Amino acid sequence: MPAASIGWLVLAGVAAPAALFGLLGGASVLNRPLPERWTSRLTAVAMLTACSALGAAFVVSGATLTAPQLLTYGAWSEPGEGGVAIQFLVDGRSLAFGALSAAIAGVVGAFSNRYLHRESGYNRYFVLLAMFVTGMLFVALAGNVEVLFIGWEFIGLSSALLVAFFHERPAPVSNALRVFSVYRISDAAMLSAAVLLHHAAGSDSLALLTGARTSAAGLTQTSATVIALLLIVAVAGKSALLPFSGWLPRAMEGPTPSSAVYYGALSIHAGCFLLLRAAPLFEHALAARILVGALGAATAIFAAIATRVQSDVKSSLAYAALTQVGLIVVEIAIGWYTIAFVHLAGHACFRLLQFLSAPNVLHDLHGMENDRPLPSRGVRPGGSPGVVRQRLYLFALERGFLDPLLDRGIVEAFANVARRLTRFDAWLCGVLMPAPARAGVDRAEVRDD
Amino acid sequence: MHEGARSVDDGLTGAIDRLAAQLPAQGPIGIFIHHNTLHAFEDEPFEDAVEGAAARLGCEPFLAESRYRDKLASGRILAVDVEAVIDESLEARGGDVVAGAASRRDLWRAIVLYGIPAAAGPELSWILDETDTLTRRRADVPQAARFAAAEPGEPAGRAEEAAALRRLWTACVDAVGRAGAPPTPPLPEPVRHRDWLVAAQGPDVDAWMHPPLIRFLAGYLDQGLAHWPMPARGDGIHGCFLELYDTALASRCGRWARGLPGLVVADRAAARDGAASVQRSLDDLGVARHERDAYLGAELLALRGWAGMVRQLEVRPDRVPTRDLPVTLRGYLAVRLLFERAAIGHAARRMGFRGPLSELRTWLRGRVPLPQASTAAERAWSLFHIAQLCGLDASTVDEWSAADVADLEAELHGLDGVHRRRLLHQAFERTIRHRVYDAVIRHAPRPSPASPAFQAVFCLDEREESFRRHLEEVDPGCETFSTAGFFNVAMYHQGASDAHPRPLCPVAIRPDHYVEEIDLDAEGLAARSRRLRRRASGFLGYNVHLSSRLPARGALLMTLFGWLALLPLVLRVVFPWLSSRWRRVRETASAAPRTRLLLDRVDTPPPMGTYSGFTIREQADFVRRVLDDIGVGDRLSRLVLVLGHGSISLNNPHESAHDCGACGGGRGGPNARAFAQAANDPRVRDQLAAEGLGIDEDTWFVGGQRNTCDNTVTLFDEDLVPARCRTAFDRARAAIDRTRRREAHERCRRFDVPRWYPPLAALAHVQGRAADLAQPRPEYGHATNAFCIVGRRARTRGLFLDRRAFLVSYDPSRDDDGCVLARIMAAGVPVVAGISLEYYFSYVDPVGYGAGTKLPHNVTSLLGVMDGAQSDLRTGLPWQMVEIHEPARLAIVVEAPRDRLWRVVHDNPATERLVRNRWIWIACLDPESGALWELRADRWVARVPQHALPIVHGDSSAWYQGKRGFVAPASIVPATGVRAPDDAPAVLV
Repeated sequence: MPAASIGWLVLAGVAAPAALFGLLGGASVLNRPLPERWTSRLTAVAMLTACSALGAAFVVSGATLTAPQLLTYGAWSEPGEGGVAIQFLVDGRSLAFGALSAAIAGVVGAFSNRYLHRESGYNRYFVLLAMFVTGMLFVALAGNVEVLFIGWEFIGLSSALLVAFFHERPAPVSNALRVFSVYRISDAAMLSAAVLLHHAAGSDSLALLTGARTSAAGLTQTSATVIALLLIVAVAGKSALLPFSGWLPRAMEGPTPSSAVYYGALSIHAGCFLLLRAAPLFEHALAARILVGALGAATAIFAAIATRVQSDVKSSLAYAALTQVGLIVVEIAIGWYTIAFVHLAGHACFRLLQFLSAPNVLHDLHGMENDRPLPSRGVRPGGSPGVVRQRLYLFALERGFLDPLLDRGIVEAFANVARRLTRFDAWLCGVLMPAPARAGVDRAEVRDD
Repeated sequence: MHEGARSVDDGLTGAIDRLAAQLPAQGPIGIFIHHNTLHAFEDEPFEDAVEGAAARLGCEPFLAESRYRDKLASGRILAVDVEAVIDESLEARGGDVVAGAASRRDLWRAIVLYGIPAAAGPELSWILDETDTLTRRRADVPQAARFAAAEPGEPAGRAEEAAALRRLWTACVDAVGRAGAPPTPPLPEPVRHRDWLVAAQGPDVDAWMHPPLIRFLAGYLDQGLAHWPMPARGDGIHGCFLELYDTALASRCGRWARGLPGLVVADRAAARDGAASVQRSLDDLGVARHERDAYLGAELLALRGWAGMVRQLEVRPDRVPTRDLPVTLRGYLAVRLLFERAAIGHAARRMGFRGPLSELRTWLRGRVPLPQASTAAERAWSLFHIAQLCGLDASTVDEWSAADVADLEAELHGLDGVHRRRLLHQAFERTIRHRVYDAVIRHAPRPSPASPAFQAVFCLDEREESFRRHLEEVDPGCETFSTAGFFNVAMYHQGASDAHPRPLCPVAIRPDHYVEEIDLDAEGLAARSRRLRRRASGFLGYNVHLSSRLPARGALLMTLFGWLALLPLVLRVVFPWLSSRWRRVRETASAAPRTRLLLDRVDTPPPMGTYSGFTIREQADFVRRVLDDIGVGDRLSRLVLVLGHGSISLNNPHESAHDCGACGGGRGGPNARAFAQAANDPRVRDQLAAEGLGIDEDTWFVGGQRNTCDNTVTLFDEDLVPARCRTAFDRARAAIDRTRRREAHERCRRFDVPRWYPPLAALAHVQGRAADLAQPRPEYGHATNAFCIVGRRARTRGLFLDRRAFLVSYDPSRDDDGCVLARIMAAGVPVVAGISLEYYFSYVDPVGYGAGTKLPHNVTSLLGVMDGAQSDLRTGLPWQMVEIHEPARLAIVVEAPRDRLWRVVHDNPATERLVRNRWIWIACLDPESGALWELRADRWVARVPQHALPIVHGDSSAWYQGKRGFVAPASIVPATGVRAPDDAPAVLV
């Protein structure tokens, strides 16, 4: 009986934001967006429902469940035979994370209702927020790769679209494109990992990854390592670990609450949570485990240096958040799963508050300063700062020179390939097509920018 | 390596100083001072200036044409005013007949009132092909024109209409064919290399170099946001840059930055200072002496927010905490040009240019595509609309000669979109200006009581208009005044818990005096524990702030206490009113510290300014001056409240833009308090008595501050109020308490509150807004300001002005030589004109002149805000502050004899310039006859009132309730006998 009640509770918890997304999105598709009042009320109801249902499920599961439980809600065809099913894998941690996500989204929804009041993108924002929460809950509770991947994509897509929220200016759009591109790399790695998992283990159920059944699934050391490595790429893209950290400060283009909920609280931790879920897999792949630990540590060190010199409040918070994310990854690599989870949850709440009150920084510093000036207000004397300090400062100011590095290593490489292909295409058209038909093709000349 | 000026700089420093005037003059955001966004253009007439500036800065001069048409439709603009403006603008030329079509006046009237939709190129082809433009007559043209266009005997069928329009279109195309070829538009002639590169479809080097330049500059100017201050900041911008970027690492800023280290090394080797480096860069880029100013001007405007901030810190370092930071605009230009040379070099190589950069522009000139002349269809499109608007048919158009078409096109050229908007804007201002003129003329003067129970002096701020009105409604026995809200006390003030002093006076004044607030029982146990608690909370706050950014401490903090953040989060976001309530309860529970201002002169050297405190002489001077200004004379009542104002709100970087403009974006409470303290001082009174201004022994002044956001009124030094004034004091306090509620209720009609709204809930509502983290509109500040009325309160007492009018007390009968008026105008006009014009520009172009929407704002360097991750510093006002505004120049009505006002205006060059160039309107209200004249181009134009003034019985709420938008002026006459209960529910729609 308790198992059944958990099933119902989880269903209610996930269905509420999904229904909200369907409703708000559907109304927008029909070009009949709901009025602000209704949008905000529905959002509040959906988030409250999700939060309380998942919270209740967490309490019930704490009392009854001893092992993770796989919940299956209907299947289009048999899972395990290449079919698709909606499956959730619940344990205490995933339910707690789901409930926390819904709670945070609820607070942010209430915040945004007043913050975005009268903004022309109000409706768009709430559609994307609902999409995001749905995605977050899918990722938190996913029982198989399909559900996980849908959630992962919802997060990525809504994130990029919210970065480009103010699309009438060029900077948000180009930064959103960058975020989106990094996410695509991460998605590709994720998809490859899923396919490999399916190939190696013959099932796409994530239950495979939990401790009880990993050995039974018969993953070899090598395939476990390869899958783990791909997962690391996926996580690094989503959680802005090195060398992908450059997109994080660029993502601060959207309205303040969206920056807060994505890059302060939830989306930035989605990668960490995935690692936590896949921890048993990593226990089988020592090399990957060491690598992810090193990556986390390097990210934490880099971000800790970078945050010290950022002179705008949102970049400063972005790197501060990244510092903790790096440390959480290290904790997972070491195997302190509970500590990592508590750290993650605490960090999400705290950073959310900091991001939401970022515009208040003048007020805050004034209060902290009281009757003694802050140490950071000092003017260092002139003269050479010394080679180490000079380079370290420049390194931090320029954010580790990561973006030009990625531009050179990946963007330009891709662009070059694309350019060559276009030229080849134009040449092929020239060969295959008669001259008059080619007029249009010739005009579409290749510009290299 | 110092940026000292050199004698060999060939006027460069002077040129940069001149160019700096074009930059936004907005200071650090914590001390927000409203100023005319186009201050540098005040030498030109307003309309020409805004159009010129708009073309130069890529901004909008007026609202969009469609917005004016909406206002025409809703009656905010009257057609008669449009006609009057056209007549004024055309003068005698109005009667000429243009191309045999219509008189110029009628032609202009039709075009301005109905407009010609802009369409060109593919858009026009689409409109012609896909819409019913060529088959249906315009629906919005005047009825007369539609009838005139119908050919005689033509039935009004659809098919006939389509055929007639088709014929008309063909006739227009033919007429264009008969006319000569259109003039070819001129080639673009940009100055900067970057603009040439863009025009030649090359890369945008600004997009490459601005991100690192902004990061460097923000780090350099940082006032304490970053934990590590930038090293070598003592060397000036250019010197610090050379220290920091003197490494091969600098080339990693991007592919374009490969040349950067070389340029840095060259500057260092030659030991160039900022100016020398600028000169070297200009030589390298091939910028000749004659185009130097234009080039540097364009460079400065490329990131004008940041460049303006550099200039502000250079000129007024006293407004920021790190005062000893060396900042120069030439240093900034030097760094900017170094970046730019590296980037341009890379861009030129990528485009295949191998020569020296000095020849790049010549090379690019040949690569800029030629602009296209307008096509026949584009030209016919305008004629087609003219024909419809004037009710012409195809046969008339067929008779147009080449000369006629040329005439019409010349007319259209003179009446292009910008000019149409100019005329519509003038008409719009005329309509709203005349409404208030007529209200002032028609309002029956209502004198204040002969012996008032108490008097209250406010700031001239238009947000006090409603407060004064409600106060007088609540307690008709009181009398109110207003004057510039720094009460003539210009000082640096440091509160007991402040780390830095800040200037509290109009921006034009740099104070000499420093005044400190001290804790009266500093050594008492309670005060010590209070200080300790405050320091502990500051220490804790700082450490949490810092730890959250550090790895190990941060991890500990987040893991152990992170979830605690949910409590303030939920409280402040979901229940903001509760949190404000809680704070209030906590504050009242602990006894407020007794503090005093150290107003008297002492010999200790001040941290800012020249003197610590004011001498008795100086105190007597500022007391006398304010009492003379407001014209109260010897009619002082037993109790005089002096109320400054400020605004406190959460999560609002533009908080100080809601503070007092006369206090230079500070809160005026300390000024009011200092004034009251001086006026109560027996030594000051003796001094004044010796000069003939006797202040009655029984009179007591109390300073205070009104928080315009949550409507709290704090009165200072209450413990000093003598027993003989207690009754009056209690009465005043009770009246103020009720006024706060009523005034909040009036403000609420602008917020989205429910339809049914009791005054009690209104106060809670505004308090909740102030404490709400999620509220981007804690209050609307100066939005909707449009008028300023200088004169006796009798003229405006009981006149509902919808919080739109600055009010300045002035008694023309006590100022025969005009001295008082002259100084009131000299002090007040720049402040109110600055506020009005800043709101004008931020509303008209919220992106170009304003700071855009608040939602993505990112506080940087504690100096200003950027959009999102990184951008130019956004100056001006955010959209959420101005969204309910009506952009109109300020109309100042002065109650004084005409000759006196004339003299005062013309004796003050600053005011005269504003008036002559129409940046403000000035009208004169005759104290004797009550007639009103407007000053137009050196002559007085009498106003004959046309708009009616409604008379409303009851109180203000009887007039405003149920209305959301602008509310017309009205005379509020107290309903005799009945007094509305205070918390009677009022309905808002």
